[in-house]
Amino acid sequence: MTRRRIRNILRKEWEVMFSDLNSVLFITLLPLLIVGQAILLIWLVVQFGGEGILANPMLQTAMEKLRAALPSLAGLPVGEQFQVLLLSQFNFYLLLIPMMTAISFATFSIVDEKLSRSLEALLATPVRTWELLLGKALSGALPALLITWLCAGVFLLGTVGLGWGHLLDLVLTPSWFICLFLLTPVVAVLSFMLGIIGSSRARDAKSAQNIVVVIVLPVLALIGVQVTGLVWFTPLLTLALALGIGMADIFVLRVATRLFQRESIVVRWH
Amino acid sequence: MAIIETHGLTKRFGELTAVDDLSLKMEKGEVLGFLGPNGAGKTTTIRMLAGIIAPTSGYAVVAGLRPDREPERLHEVVGLLTESPGLYDRLSARRNLEYFAEFYSGIEVSTQVEKYLRLMGLWERREDRVGTFSKGMKQRLALARALLHKPQVLFLDEPTAGLDPEAAREVRDMIKKLSLEGRTIFLSTHNLAEAELLCHHIAVIRTRLLALDTPEDLRQRLFSRQVIVQLETLESSIVEAVEKLPFVQTLHRDENQLLVELADPERNRPELVKSIVEAGGRVMEVSEKRHSLEEAYLTLVQEEEKLDS
Repeated sequence: MTRRRIRNILRKEWEVMFSDLNSVLFITLLPLLIVGQAILLIWLVVQFGGEGILANPMLQTAMEKLRAALPSLAGLPVGEQFQVLLLSQFNFYLLLIPMMTAISFATFSIVDEKLSRSLEALLATPVRTWELLLGKALSGALPALLITWLCAGVFLLGTVGLGWGHLLDLVLTPSWFICLFLLTPVVAVLSFMLGIIGSSRARDAKSAQNIVVVIVLPVLALIGVQVTGLVWFTPLLTLALALGIGMADIFVLRVATRLFQRESIVVRWH
Repeated sequence: MAIIETHGLTKRFGELTAVDDLSLKMEKGEVLGFLGPNGAGKTTTIRMLAGIIAPTSGYAVVAGLRPDREPERLHEVVGLLTESPGLYDRLSARRNLEYFAEFYSGIEVSTQVEKYLRLMGLWERREDRVGTFSKGMKQRLALARALLHKPQVLFLDEPTAGLDPEAAREVRDMIKKLSLEGRTIFLSTHNLAEAELLCHHIAVIRTRLLALDTPEDLRQRLFSRQVIVQLETLESSIVEAVEKLPFVQTLHRDENQLLVELADPERNRPELVKSIVEAGGRVMEVSEKRHSLEEAYLTLVQEEEKLDS
């Protein structure tokens, strides 16, 4: 019964979500724009930045950490080493996609239920609150993961298309895969749950997104931390980061579950 | 056998008491009108009985189940029509019903959906988005949703609020039909005429229960029975003759009409008419003054307000 109910929730959520053109564009076009923008930026830096940029002490520190992590980098020209540094940031940059997609799904889903006042009728059915929460979480997390992996594919194709394919061996490190297949799901779940928490107090999807968009900042900080050479995310460190966010997921899931109790929804969600 | 019982049911939200010590019983197949001013605790009571919120103290038993302990099991046997239809505007009427029907066990979803779409006269519009529906159509669709799983008890929260007269009548006809089918219906409404038309019993609430009775007994309890005698002309000799009768308790004169409160209306009425005729009166019509349910309701609520102040 639980599987049938969750399938039912997934189907309805997607039907409602994909019936709105703005939402469809937000979750399909925006991630592709993020990827396109990243590739374009790297291309511009490589084309017009010149090796002068590397004189920056901050980047020199980052390059040193990169060389320490990838000894085979030493055989490449400095310019290409710099390209590897830039391309290696993309795995964190990619995290923006599951984050924004999941937040968008969560806020859209909950705010839509609030506006249509359908939650009370829904809570009068035999569906359990955890089934409802899980169904909604999957309805946001699954597309978020798929679109992220699709964007990763587009990024790789773009890299090859620009003639940088020979650098991919150095970019596709274990950290990259940990980031894509472990960090992305936990970030998607975290974002979705924060989306639920933000939506419980918001009156419309936009204000809900404004409440939770602050969680984008720590991800941007990750990129900053790595590109400035402060910390280089080795596979072990990336794994630890994924586990840390996984723990945060459990905590946030508890908060979201408490907020998602029947009484809270009916009495306090206005 | 009582299908709904509440024992000292109380709900507080912080300092505010929404429902206070509510105890009532409702028999199977009965329609109970739940009346009260805004903020009287009607919706909160329905939410407690439908297992959506838990009481602060006291308890209820609905269809043999405790709503606070077994809400999921309870939801298999009760239906709820919420104050606003709560439908998904972007989905079709059919998909709205299918979505809700899929949460219940043991029902043939497509058969039930078709049955209730036809019953509510929405079959031709089944593939249309609900956002294009009128208020009345949405309300009928919401009622269909509440009935899909053949509930034993139906909670209807303001089912005709905000509807135009025609749509309200359609919904009322549907409730009447369901009542004739023997469903137990707990009807919260502001519409007293509707309550009088549909309900076997009336409960008046203003945080606490003020009265629970049949509409007729409620009227009799609150108002004495009065006889109206319409005369061709009303002379003072007639009034004097009537005043002298021992069973006359009060007497009011209004143009050619006498309004008389009798000790025992059934037994005293012929004697009253006889005395009027003997005093030279020409009686045109004798009737009994009926107080409306609205008068009874307002009397109860105003008495309670006076007590509060």
